[in-house]
Amino acid sequence: MHPRYALPSIKTALGLALILTWTCNLGCEQLNKTIGVLTKPKETKETIKLGILHSQTGSMGMNEMSLRHAEVFAIEEINDSGEFPKTEFVPVVKDGRSKSDHFRRRARDLIDVEKVDVIFGCWTSLHRKAVIEEMDNPSDLFRPVGFVGNISTKRHEPLLFYPLQYEGFEAHRNVFYFGSTPNQQILPAIDWFLSVQGGKRQKLYLIGSDYLFPRMANYIVKKYLESRGIEVVDEVYLPLGHKDFGDAILKIQQKSPDLILSTINGDSNRPFYEQLYKSGIRAETLPVLATSVAEDELRRIPPEFVQGHYAAWSYFQSLDTPESKKFVGLFKKTFGLDRVVDDPMEAAYTQVMVWKEAYKRANSSDPLKIREVLEKGLEFDAPGGRIKVDPKTHHMYKKFRLGQIQLDRQFKIIYESKDLIAPDPFPAFAFPGWECDWTQGGLTKGPIPKIGL
Amino acid sequence: MFYWIYDVPSTTLALLITGAFVGFSWIGAVLIRPILRAFLRKRADINDLIGYMLSCFGVFYGLLLGLLAVAAYQNFSTVETIVSKEASALSALSRDVSAYPEPDRTNLIWLLRDYTRYVVHYAWPSQRKGIVPQEGNTRMIAFHEQLIRFEPQTPGQEILHAEALRQFNNYLEARRMRIFSVTTSIPGVMWAVVLVGALMNIALIWMFDMKLINHLFLGGILSAFMGLMIFLIASLDNPFRGELSISPAPFEDILTHLMEE
Repeated sequence: MHPRYALPSIKTALGLALILTWTCNLGCEQLNKTIGVLTKPKETKETIKLGILHSQTGSMGMNEMSLRHAEVFAIEEINDSGEFPKTEFVPVVKDGRSKSDHFRRRARDLIDVEKVDVIFGCWTSLHRKAVIEEMDNPSDLFRPVGFVGNISTKRHEPLLFYPLQYEGFEAHRNVFYFGSTPNQQILPAIDWFLSVQGGKRQKLYLIGSDYLFPRMANYIVKKYLESRGIEVVDEVYLPLGHKDFGDAILKIQQKSPDLILSTINGDSNRPFYEQLYKSGIRAETLPVLATSVAEDELRRIPPEFVQGHYAAWSYFQSLDTPESKKFVGLFKKTFGLDRVVDDPMEAAYTQVMVWKEAYKRANSSDPLKIREVLEKGLEFDAPGGRIKVDPKTHHMYKKFRLGQIQLDRQFKIIYESKDLIAPDPFPAFAFPGWECDWTQGGLTKGPIPKIGL
Repeated sequence: MFYWIYDVPSTTLALLITGAFVGFSWIGAVLIRPILRAFLRKRADINDLIGYMLSCFGVFYGLLLGLLAVAAYQNFSTVETIVSKEASALSALSRDVSAYPEPDRTNLIWLLRDYTRYVVHYAWPSQRKGIVPQEGNTRMIAFHEQLIRFEPQTPGQEILHAEALRQFNNYLEARRMRIFSVTTSIPGVMWAVVLVGALMNIALIWMFDMKLINHLFLGGILSAFMGLMIFLIASLDNPFRGELSISPAPFEDILTHLMEE
């Protein structure tokens, strides 16, 4: 054999072995790490997408941002709790742009493209109805770009969880309503003002923004007062965003009511309270009971204009319970110390937590299974106290609370219902013939009321 | 395809790539070298010939690696600058809007906080996976809507508003550039050339007529250096991925500041 091709000598072999050993020792730890990284089994966490559909832009953007935060806060809390170590809940957030068409379009995205099992969303009734319409009757107009499925075939049917108090007169098998109905919010407040404690007031003046909620709510109020033989001295509706309340206040002064029920919504509240204050009307003599003014709205109104007036909700930030304090504290820690929490936000948070509870019991995110669990009357300890799902109407049993506005832009709770109030989206005195029981027969329809819209 | 390398710690990755190159060189020296030399041993001046060849090849390959390393580093620095610029504009914007009258001030601060929180907690983890974050745009539109809704009432507010709008535009520009940078990387074809070039380099070394121990030593050194260079380029490539990546620290600082506003 040619010497060049001889096997390595003993010295060479030893040297080689030494180099190899040195290299191995040097890289052993790192190699172990590398092998660890490379051989580590892939993350086996199941991902569950949760749809969040609120306006992020447009006129409702600021209001609905708070709801989105409450929902994301709840989802992050669930993920961080370690309760579901093999599951990650991912919020899929869409912007409804404060327009019904966009709510329908984004709902379609969530249903057809993202395939979410639940949508937490909406603020206004108009947008909620648009989403429900899209859930029931998908339109080609709102087909997601690039979606190639056939929309006429059986589609994925997620649940919709809605967090706002609203006018009632609605029920849907796949919708769960976490806000109060008028019989849980407005009517108990009126009852309080009719009582001795509330000054036995008898002359109500109704003022509201001109859209579905105020019209329908006031229709219910009028029917309720009619049944109690009490007078509504007048009612007036002004466009959303209206700023000049001079004429309306003049009319109020002429009619001399002893209680103003305000269903004014949004940015109009500031000029309304300001002009009311400047016209000399004070809460001590003529209080305003508001149904759409919460802590978040109060930060935009100078407190001297609203001090002493009232608002009816199921939850106030000032609620002095450990659950509420914990919720408020953690929310502020997450989103900023200057943040406030109000009833819609508490409901938005609660609805995610209730879904989580149902998911835990159903051991599935399947909408049908979740609905089944909820229809068993699931109860949950929310920051505002215990709530219970009403299997018949898919609304919540909730408490009523009446708050009086203080100078620190918070509410002093002056009355709280003793028990949970059952939801009644179709009160018989206002909607005769209408009934809802999803456990037996579903929705029974009666004559459509004329509300003046 | 090779994105898993960004899940490996930098030191480990350096050792892994270098080790792979050295190992490949050594295995070839033991197994392939005798076969290659069976074809080349008849020529007495074969080492000179391969030496010239390797020098010539080495110049081109070295240039390629050097330029790539510089390009990757420059790209990394550029993206880092973009992120710093974006964070500075955001910080300036937050200072501007904190001087607005209420309730606009609070609304704008909350919207900026919402956006910054999204960048830190949701956008950055997406970028680390090479996914372009989409939702920030909506939040910026919301902020812009709120900003242009403000109507200055005094000359001072007019100046402040103009400055805030200018900062907002600066911010949008920097943000757009960051978004474009998420998928910035060296094209796959270049990586293919780099790897094939490295193989050819090592193959040329195998052709040298010398003792095995010299082969292992000299070939090992050259391969280790090539491995290190390739590790360097790979680490600097994809500026938002891996241990050696751009961090969201400037945004975290702003978020902390905004949370205390």
